[in-house]
Amino acid sequence: MESQTSPGMVKNSLILAKFELKKLLFNPRGLISLFAFSLVWLLILLYPIRSASSFLLTEEFRQLISAVFGENSINELFKWEVAEMAVFWIAALYLFPLFSIFVSADQFASDKSRGTFRFLSLRTGRDSIFFGRFTGHMLIQSLLLILTILATVILAASRDMSLLLPALSSGALVFINLFIILLPYTAMMAILSLYANTARQATIYAILFWAISAIIIAIINSQLPSLAELIQWVLPGAQLSMMINTQGFGSFVYAPIPLIQAAVLLFLGRSYMNRSSL
Amino acid sequence: MSLIKCEQLSKSYGSKLALNSVSIELNSGSPIALVGPNGAGKTTLFSLLCGYLLPSSGSVTILGEKPGSRALLGKVSSLPQDATLDPNLNLITQFTLFGTLQGLTAKAAKEEGLRVLSLVGLSDVSEQKPQSLSHGMGKRASIAQALIGSPQLVLLDEPTAGLDPANAKVIRDLVKALSTDITFVISSHNLDELEKLCDQVLYLDQGQLGQSVSIQENLTDEYITVSMQSCDKAQFVNEVSSINGVNSVTQKQEDEFLIHYSASDVIELEVQLFQLFSQNNWRYRAILKGRSLEDKLFS
Repeated sequence: MESQTSPGMVKNSLILAKFELKKLLFNPRGLISLFAFSLVWLLILLYPIRSASSFLLTEEFRQLISAVFGENSINELFKWEVAEMAVFWIAALYLFPLFSIFVSADQFASDKSRGTFRFLSLRTGRDSIFFGRFTGHMLIQSLLLILTILATVILAASRDMSLLLPALSSGALVFINLFIILLPYTAMMAILSLYANTARQATIYAILFWAISAIIIAIINSQLPSLAELIQWVLPGAQLSMMINTQGFGSFVYAPIPLIQAAVLLFLGRSYMNRSSL
Repeated sequence: MSLIKCEQLSKSYGSKLALNSVSIELNSGSPIALVGPNGAGKTTLFSLLCGYLLPSSGSVTILGEKPGSRALLGKVSSLPQDATLDPNLNLITQFTLFGTLQGLTAKAAKEEGLRVLSLVGLSDVSEQKPQSLSHGMGKRASIAQALIGSPQLVLLDEPTAGLDPANAKVIRDLVKALSTDITFVISSHNLDELEKLCDQVLYLDQGQLGQSVSIQENLTDEYITVSMQSCDKAQFVNEVSSINGVNSVTQKQEDEFLIHYSASDVIELEVQLFQLFSQNNWRYRAILKGRSLEDKLFS
């Protein structure tokens, strides 16, 4: 059978990205992972987020937080129109990067070690494989983000129906912000899973990378604080603690950091992919 | 334009030189065999041709392009040794993905997947996952994926290793049938198989290209290989040696003899041999014009 004209890199990247999502949604193993993820978030929503958001609404709690952390340390937290979304934002800021490490740990490791990439690389370029898998894992994480944000919107609306629209609009901003935050984590895992033989090994490398980097930065900080100040921005997630006290469009102030990190990591990953043996 | 061109191609893994200055030029046509002992560098050469590995030095081109280049996508395919399909996805899902990556629509890719699976007799397991297939079926599925679309060059690394005789024959017949449109390069340890399939044989040893043998040369070769079923071996050697024009008769194996003769000095040697068999009531198993591949490569 005659094949049509060789499709471009972008088209094949999208085919591979969609296939990654399909693997999650139409595969028993993928569905079990999705179910486990939903269950964890259901528990987080029902207990910490629901109870914390009711605290957040009380004046006593606001005064307590101001007394402990200072007047302007987390004052933005109280400006959220939907309290549930404020608590979700804090939880998601730290939990989603953590999930990202696990979810995107097998972008390449298994396929590379069992040689499955050899079947793909004769049909599409290595760039398509690299960016296709990366995009696919971003799509998977987007799906997880949308599911949890929608659940938070439903939680808020169940308390007060008038919060539905504000929750949806702030949910959309939260989604975009978290999506940007996850980009460098997924790009970092792309590199690590290219190097590792299994997803578990890639996860261990990730833990080692962040732990060792934190120790090195701490050591540099004790000797050359100004240099450490600069180096800390290299690490994905460096801006997270500062993002707690932001909301809505204000959170986009920090977007350039993960975007630049992701661009650099993707460039490095692409170079590694093109040079590595399959 | 030559199909494959390697110039001073070398590949080393650390301090181990797996391929040492290999220079070959191969053209499209009949299947080409690649033989050599374990660790000779056959799989490394295949991996370099497919672009899985980058050469340490030297150059390699396929249809004038570097392996792995965009121009070759879909034109070169392979059965890589030890590579397995994704165990979590059924065959047709994976084959449809391969087809769409080669530019087919989803529907056409699925049809193409079913077509190539039927070529290797696996139509009925298209919905099964690779892990539920036997080793032989898995191998046939991997061969099938190499035939998706319209490749011009197919590299098969040990295609019949681990297959039962019936299925090995199916693969051989398939290669034979498709070799008018596709040039196959086959690596195998089964010399009888290669003799039946290939015209040109490349011999690799310790990373170096030892020799290149043409099966076609058999027709002009001044050798005849006779395999006997029953005969007095000493008498066979004596009587055949005494035929005018026969230079030597060597017993190669238990019942196999290699006769070297001068074509200009002997008339209808085969007829004389048959007369000899008849007179002595000897029975033969096979007569081969020329030498067996094993004999050509290893003697």
